[in-house]
Amino acid sequence: MAILSSSGLTVTFGGKNAVESLDLKVEQGQLVGLIGPNGAGKTTTIDALTGFVPARGVVTFDGKEIESQSSTQRARGGLGRTWQSSELFDDLTILENLQVAAERVTVGGFIRDLFKPRNDDVSELMAILASLDLDHSAHLLPTELSHGQRKLVGVARSLAAKPKVLLMDEPAAGLDTEESQELGTRIRGLVDGGLSVLLIDHDMGLVLTICDYLYVLDFGQLIAEGTPAEIRADEKVIGAYLGQRHAEGENDG
Amino acid sequence: MTTSSSTRSWATPGRIAAIIAALLGVVLLVLIFTNVNQTQALFLGLGVGALIAAIALSVTLNYQGSGVVNFAAGAIAMYGGYVYYGLRVNGQLFLPPLPNPLAPIEGIVHLAGNKSFNLPNIPVFITLAHPGAGSSSFGTIIRQPAMPVWLALLISAGVLAILGLLFHLLIFRPLRNAPVLAKVVASVGLFIIMQAIVVLRFTSSAKAVTSILPTSPTHLPRGVTLPSDQLYLVGIVVLVTLGLWALFRYTRFGLATRAAAENEKGAIVLGYSPDFLAGVNWVASTVLAGMFGILAAAINQSLDPITITLLIVPALAASLLGRFNSFIVTMLAGLGIGMLSSWIQYLSGQSWFPKAGGQPIPGLTQALPFVIIIIVLVLRGKSLPTRGSVETVKLPFAPRARGAVPTSLIGGVAVAVILFVTSPDWRLAIVNSLVGVVICLSLVVLTGYVGQISLMQMALAGISGFTLSKIADAHHIPFPFGPILGAVAAVAVGLIAGVPALRVRGVNLAVVTFAAAVTIEQMVFANPAWSGLKGAIVAPPRLFGLKFGPNDSWSKLFGGGEGLLPNPWFGVFCLVVVILLILAVVNIRSSRVGRHMLAVRANERAAAAAGVSVSGTKILAFGVAAFIAGLGGALSGYRFGSVTADYFGAIPSMLFLAFAYLGGISSVSGAVVGGIIVSGGILTTFMSHVLGIPETYTLFLAGLGLITMAIFNPKGVAGALRDSGHAIKGRLGRGTTPKADAEAEAGVHAKVGA
Ligand SMILES: Nc1ncnc2c1ncn2[C@@H]1O[C@H](COP(=O)(O)OP(=O)(O)OP(=O)(O)O)[C@@H](O)[C@H]1O
Ligand SMILES: [Mg+2]
Repeated sequence: MAILSSSGLTVTFGGKNAVESLDLKVEQGQLVGLIGPNGAGKTTTIDALTGFVPARGVVTFDGKEIESQSSTQRARGGLGRTWQSSELFDDLTILENLQVAAERVTVGGFIRDLFKPRNDDVSELMAILASLDLDHSAHLLPTELSHGQRKLVGVARSLAAKPKVLLMDEPAAGLDTEESQELGTRIRGLVDGGLSVLLIDHDMGLVLTICDYLYVLDFGQLIAEGTPAEIRADEKVIGAYLGQRHAEGENDG
Repeated sequence: MTTSSSTRSWATPGRIAAIIAALLGVVLLVLIFTNVNQTQALFLGLGVGALIAAIALSVTLNYQGSGVVNFAAGAIAMYGGYVYYGLRVNGQLFLPPLPNPLAPIEGIVHLAGNKSFNLPNIPVFITLAHPGAGSSSFGTIIRQPAMPVWLALLISAGVLAILGLLFHLLIFRPLRNAPVLAKVVASVGLFIIMQAIVVLRFTSSAKAVTSILPTSPTHLPRGVTLPSDQLYLVGIVVLVTLGLWALFRYTRFGLATRAAAENEKGAIVLGYSPDFLAGVNWVASTVLAGMFGILAAAINQSLDPITITLLIVPALAASLLGRFNSFIVTMLAGLGIGMLSSWIQYLSGQSWFPKAGGQPIPGLTQALPFVIIIIVLVLRGKSLPTRGSVETVKLPFAPRARGAVPTSLIGGVAVAVILFVTSPDWRLAIVNSLVGVVICLSLVVLTGYVGQISLMQMALAGISGFTLSKIADAHHIPFPFGPILGAVAAVAVGLIAGVPALRVRGVNLAVVTFAAAVTIEQMVFANPAWSGLKGAIVAPPRLFGLKFGPNDSWSKLFGGGEGLLPNPWFGVFCLVVVILLILAVVNIRSSRVGRHMLAVRANERAAAAAGVSVSGTKILAFGVAAFIAGLGGALSGYRFGSVTADYFGAIPSMLFLAFAYLGGISSVSGAVVGGIIVSGGILTTFMSHVLGIPETYTLFLAGLGLITMAIFNPKGVAGALRDSGHAIKGRLGRGTTPKADAEAEAGVHAKVGA
């Protein structure tokens, strides 16, 4: 059974459906792409899956229906996400950003910390940072990093929570071609290591090369799904999305 | 931001309608089933209801125009009343205290010992007309008004319009991209300033005001008789509401304001700058509140600095019912609350009404808006509609304190020595400051670390003090357990008030806690059953036979003999408590909880996605803050030997937010600075004893400082000191700034990696 799936997922904003009865599946250990033009409803889909916008339909994660869970509960259950605009905690250092996601607070621990704060072990978190070439920035503040690096910190922070499924919203935006290819390789590596990922990205070259399976949205509707090869050949996709992208002179596969 | 989803969630109009229906239902029931006296009482609430409605409309207008929840709307109404009063009775327009360039010279001469030296002062009044008969000198009671009603009203309206414009240009425009926290803080500063100015110019005693509208009795059905001015006032507020409704519905200007409230780009598309819209709405809301203040004072025939000011609480309840966007619902709710309050007032005069200490239970009219606010928040489960503006100004950085243990030990020893060698005045000042530090620390945890505003910290301190006096002392609970019991009581009361607000996003906590503070002040602190004339007595602390109350006698360490009171050992006791709390708050910042708190403060969505329980973290912070405030309350109980209503309560709670913010809300060192500047503390003692600046200016300066800080330097005094400290160190080439630190570290890593 799929580790994450939705059926009939619908999100309405002011009478307009931003996502309309979407059926989507992420299998264990699979890298699934979610693509579509601007405003297609990709971010809204992630928001709905993680509980950040009210949605109708059924969402199943790790064998349980999770619609009634809050976003915090879903995150704790292992449903991780990153944000299109990184959304880091600006008052905390990069390492502290990761610590927030990795550590849980208990009343007992809190009372102990009042008298003597623990020195939490950060070696695992430093390893995550190192794997994204961010270890030199561990003690910097987010505002001291470039936009691309901030996006990477967002990825590192979501990894720090040890998610079972990770939903990534344009992690490569802001990176140059070489960097985004490198990131793609890393994401592929994570998936090969057992993580399941739903990846949104506008870089078609990247998505079509690394994903196992793809969903294509337009105006909140699913217009195609299939393997990269099938998507490449799909008339509707070319019409709605690839054509437009080609015309804009962006990267293609 | 989930702006549009929340503004559009008229999804629960049913619930709001239910509350309004309930309000009106009670009114109706009273009408049907009760006698003429009760009906009469109900309708006598129309006048105050109209004023509540007007203040609430002003609040809603401000919120639509500039995203500010204006706690000063009631103070503006009160201020308007005084502008009119000054003009009509004395023919004088009063001015706020203005900076006098000669004052520092005067101060220095005073410092040099020549206290009689006086330079010219800036005028406090501009005289526009002279009273018809008798002397025109200030202070004498003058029967003949100096100015005709229409002229005084006209000039007042002009003054209010200018004030509104100034509020916009000087305070809220600079804050337009600031976090909600800074905006609320600025409006609290405005509240404090307006009240302080009026007290400085007119004293705090009530003034008699003559009526403006015709007062002839009007006979209504069912034998109800009302002075007609009340009905006129209702008529005016209904007309204003309909006018606003039409303006916002049918004109481009109104549409643009509504659009701007959702998304500032929307207004630009309609051809208006959001800035212009905010300015116009500020002028309109200030004139609206101020003019109704004038009319309402005339109906009450009395004017004082506090009554109208505190109508902000029921007004906020009405605005909340109107979701800060519906003028009509807001107006109806305002009238309804006014009527119910008046009815409750009437009932409490009946013989069967439950009594406390021989008097009817006080404060029920204050409790009404509090209960309504809580119900709305619980039912709604969703925040105020947030405005879609970009927050580019950040909250003050919350640094990790370094070397807190040695610093506080050295500082502690120094203060302890000073306690033993200074005169009683200064010793008292230090003790007051130490108590102040405790309250400021509680705000550092809640407001500094989590970004939630509480306007009830002093009320919580008072709850603890009263518990210490009435429960712990009465049952002979010994020293360390009494204050702890008090602090636990503060936590319990705080959580009852705070939890409904903390579950939802936005500035709700500020609204709820202010309503709670007013209610607690009236129901508990001013309750004759609990506080006699002298307040509630607190027995001095004793531990293992040691007596360290402020009025316990003590022998001088060197030279022997009895020392003057207060007992410095009490100061040492406060000092120990302060140091322990400082270290605990420093530890919170550098522990897991502290990181979670700052994460919640920075970005609630991202915190939730990182698995942080946002409401859990806020509730924990609120509980910790209440506990700390409770300890502060116990200390001040010991300090005065009693707890009284005027030391705790709503306005002191606001003031303490001001002190904490001025000191630096997001750091422990800020709390220490905050303690130094509290009224009666080290700074005000310095000002009054050394510079000769009267204590009455403290409030004015606190309010002014609060606004200035909110705009220019959210890091507070402590942050500014830290920055200049870093700058100096940097220039000296020794220590480094945190940024340079981190870079240096990064450099090291890079080398290791290479
Ligand atoms: N909170 C909201 N309220 C109202 N409408 C919204 C909201 N969030 C998104 N929308 C609308 O829903 C639609 C889908 O938006 P979404 O952000 O999901 O698109 P996207 O596919 O992620 O686009 P992009 O590639 O630009 O990130 C858009 O038309 C957007 O304007
Ligand atoms: Mg998106």
